[in-house]
Amino acid sequence: MEKLIHFLLPRESNNHKAKILHSSSLLVLASFLVLSQIVLNLLPKLNPSILGYASNISPSEVVRLTNEKRAAAGLSALSLNQELSAAAYTKGQDMIAKDYWAHIAPDGTEPWKFFKDFGYKYRYAGENLARDFSNANDAVNAWMNSPAHRENMLNPKYKEIGIGVVEGDLAGVDTTIVVQFFGAMYTDKIVQPIAQAAKTEKTVVLTVAPTIIPTAIPISIQTIEPQVRSQILISPFTTTRTLSLIVVAILLLVFIVDAVLVSKRRITRVAGRTFAHVVFLGMILSIILILKVGNIL
Amino acid sequence: MQNFIKHMPHYISLIFIFIAGIIGFYVFSYDTNFQIGVVFALASAYVSWGIIHHTIHKDICLSVVIEYVTVAILGIVITLSLIYRI
Repeated sequence: MEKLIHFLLPRESNNHKAKILHSSSLLVLASFLVLSQIVLNLLPKLNPSILGYASNISPSEVVRLTNEKRAAAGLSALSLNQELSAAAYTKGQDMIAKDYWAHIAPDGTEPWKFFKDFGYKYRYAGENLARDFSNANDAVNAWMNSPAHRENMLNPKYKEIGIGVVEGDLAGVDTTIVVQFFGAMYTDKIVQPIAQAAKTEKTVVLTVAPTIIPTAIPISIQTIEPQVRSQILISPFTTTRTLSLIVVAILLLVFIVDAVLVSKRRITRVAGRTFAHVVFLGMILSIILILKVGNIL
Repeated sequence: MQNFIKHMPHYISLIFIFIAGIIGFYVFSYDTNFQIGVVFALASAYVSWGIIHHTIHKDICLSVVIEYVTVAILGIVITLSLIYRI
């Protein structure tokens, strides 16, 4: 009990400043947090299926939400193309198999290869990627918040969409990858000037004369649904967030109590401004709460 | 309390810096590199604020600077460990 008071309250034994607020203690605390991250990184080596992100993403929901955003922007809906969906699913599997998180694979394979492999003769093509999101809504919102991904989603040149949701182990962590492929075939030559023509970095325009082949666009919504994953024990993000919240909350509380007691006892000491530390930690707390799991590319 | 009021103009500037940082963090939530940049900028601003503030009030010493640096390091470790887990 004495030790706990020494750590948390200002008194003579700690030079009238809670021991946990001393610079040396703060450095130990920072080292402990770094160590916890190292342990978290080592966990998959001990048990490959211990880390992961729980998710429930349905491809048809991603299509529905994408078309909802397009409708809100005054654009026509994208029709689900099974060739594109199969290509997107294969791209996701390729990322898991080769353990990479990028538009272009380490061996130089570009996304467009998957379009071609499934016989999708595109006039325009685009790709959005998302990982670690717990639901389709968060993933679609994250794409909409990013200007480059938003351009893809609201590009009037695209007529069709394909979604691949793949679950697997990426860099030792069980995750869910969402691959969103956009396309317009040679046969889709009329571009509706409903919205401004967004310039998309992933748009591929072929200069060769298009071969006009009547192509039936599938209407039925059949998608490759992700397989049910085994139980996940620890989410790296949630664990780190919980630990960070505990550390910041304890420090904030001790700083405030320390300031009140020192002020009441009229103790003069050489130290930084407690109010400044509290405001800084308050900002860190806000950042912890703002950050959401999920990554887009 | 008198001390607090005396430091108020400095505290307000610090609060504005942090609010700008939080807004930047929220608006550019899709850009991890920008967020990392914001974290380092805020930590640097905090340490600089501490040094300038204590210099003006003529109560600066090495232990005070170290205190600001260690709190900033702790903040950086916490936010970066979360950003890299996203």
